[in-house]
Amino acid sequence: MSVQMDEVKRAQGLIEVRDLGVIFGEYESAVEAVANVSMAVQPGEFVSLIGPSGCGKSTLLNIAAGFVQPTSGNVLIDGKPVQGPSADRGVVFQQYSLFPWLTVRKNVEFGLRMQNMPAGPRESAARTLLGLAGLLAFENHYPDQLSGGMKQRVGIVRALATSPQVLLMDEPFGALDAQTCVVMQEILTNMWQQFRISVLFITHDIEEAIFLSDKVYVMTARPGRIKAEIPVPLARPRTADMTASAEFTGMVQQLKALIRAESLASMGAELKEGGLKGFGMSVGPKGLADVV
Amino acid sequence: MQAATQTSIAVPRAQSAAKPEHLVAPAVPGPPVVQTEAAALVAANESRPAIPAAVRLTRWLRNNALSVFLWCMSLGLLFAAWYLGTRYRIDLFIRFTNIPAPAEVFAKVTEVAGSAKYMTNIGISVRRIFTGFGIAILIALPLGLLIGRYRSARDLLMPAIEVLRPIPAIAWVPMSIMLWPTTEVSIVFITFLGSFFPILLNTVHGVTAMDPVLLRAGRCLGANEARMFWNVILPGVLPHIFTGLAVGMGVAWVSLIAAEMISGQFGVGYFTWEAYSLVNYAEIALGMITIGMLGLLCSGAIRVVGHFVMPWASYGGGKNR
Repeated sequence: MSVQMDEVKRAQGLIEVRDLGVIFGEYESAVEAVANVSMAVQPGEFVSLIGPSGCGKSTLLNIAAGFVQPTSGNVLIDGKPVQGPSADRGVVFQQYSLFPWLTVRKNVEFGLRMQNMPAGPRESAARTLLGLAGLLAFENHYPDQLSGGMKQRVGIVRALATSPQVLLMDEPFGALDAQTCVVMQEILTNMWQQFRISVLFITHDIEEAIFLSDKVYVMTARPGRIKAEIPVPLARPRTADMTASAEFTGMVQQLKALIRAESLASMGAELKEGGLKGFGMSVGPKGLADVV
Repeated sequence: MQAATQTSIAVPRAQSAAKPEHLVAPAVPGPPVVQTEAAALVAANESRPAIPAAVRLTRWLRNNALSVFLWCMSLGLLFAAWYLGTRYRIDLFIRFTNIPAPAEVFAKVTEVAGSAKYMTNIGISVRRIFTGFGIAILIALPLGLLIGRYRSARDLLMPAIEVLRPIPAIAWVPMSIMLWPTTEVSIVFITFLGSFFPILLNTVHGVTAMDPVLLRAGRCLGANEARMFWNVILPGVLPHIFTGLAVGMGVAWVSLIAAEMISGQFGVGYFTWEAYSLVNYAEIALGMITIGMLGLLCSGAIRVVGHFVMPWASYGGGKNR
């Protein structure tokens, strides 16, 4: 990677989602997953997409990654419509996605190997990135020897190795325990501070979204639409102690109220009238299993 | 260990934010993101002194004493039953009257072991196994990968395969003799058939059972279709392939011995059957033991190759271990 090339890339990384609609299935079994979604991630911006489970936020990311074709509308990266998966969009998955047959370093090198980069530069690039993530000591370990948090960090490093213009992250910390999750958020914000790459981050965790992002999109329940676009004015770089500030907690409350309304809406019309009380009464002695 | 020194989190944020490089090591003092507990863990592991082999052996024996005792009992009881059965010529529905005693068979081993006839028979059987098994690998592996990956290949090939598969390789013996110009080729064909289906079906299953997230990861890291096959699917399916090889090797021996007994000249199967025809009881047992040993060696070899080819599998990763 030459420095010149990197400077060109710096100005890039604009993600535009235009009138996106997704319908799964056909005829009577058709389900509208996403409807009329338009949003944008500016170059170098960290944007989170948050919403109740099943609202189609992962579907949206899968379209941006090129795994899923939209029914209508499209996703543009720097003005070019997404045609399929490509190394110019790094993807970090919720599930562990490291290749178990490759060591940590070989995993990170994978994308560069696909670009036919010679072994020498490939290795030093991978080692540099692993060093940044504090993983250099584990370069010769296999993924199955690592903890969940380390695996996801290697996943992030691997996605960054090909110098993508954008990074798409699908609840990457969703499978981690709460403590590890907080540490991972700090590590991610630090790494982002270094690379200043455009990030589209999918999450259902409100604190996580606010802590990491410049802008948070809130999605409605199925079919997913954009309900609100909320800028996060917190200063950069972000540190863990910011989460105690009044500004931060205020934003959390605001978002929580929005999401709560959405979650209730997604659970059925009767809840709108009776609120949670009505829900409690309808459960009855047989328990939740009968209701669900 | 250098990692142990990286224990402080020193993130020069203001500087690094202004740096223009992308994915180039930032020229800032100290590592920007450092995670401590794991690095310390590695350091601790690697500074632990090596334990002498003798100490490790005694420790292992102490921890596994019962297992070792039971293993010896298992083999000991088998030989005791054989010995006592032949010693007292037991005849209670199951008849030991004509069965050779362990000592007779051992005497036969020393008599025959170096003989040209015995060694030639072993050599010929092993050659047939290697040829049949080798051809099965060459055909079943690519076919299995294609069938697993492409629906059209599956639709084209699987019906024919599913129809042929339930026919045991041994049932092919008469047809095989008619099909092929020489007995030798037909025996190799039977061996091939025996190992072909387990290898093929395990490979197909491996491809279809592969974690889709790994395929997606390969795709979005820039792998084209050929690279996907070579760098993602093949290594991902290796554990399944080796399961198929192990099973296939077993069935190959079964098929080979049957074919040799029915239509053969030469081979351990033929050796054993000939001993029966000539009422040479000790050689029957010797033939059986030889077949068992050869089968054991072959599946052992596959396991060794598997460990060598898949060093990661010993960390509990591969789903089908």
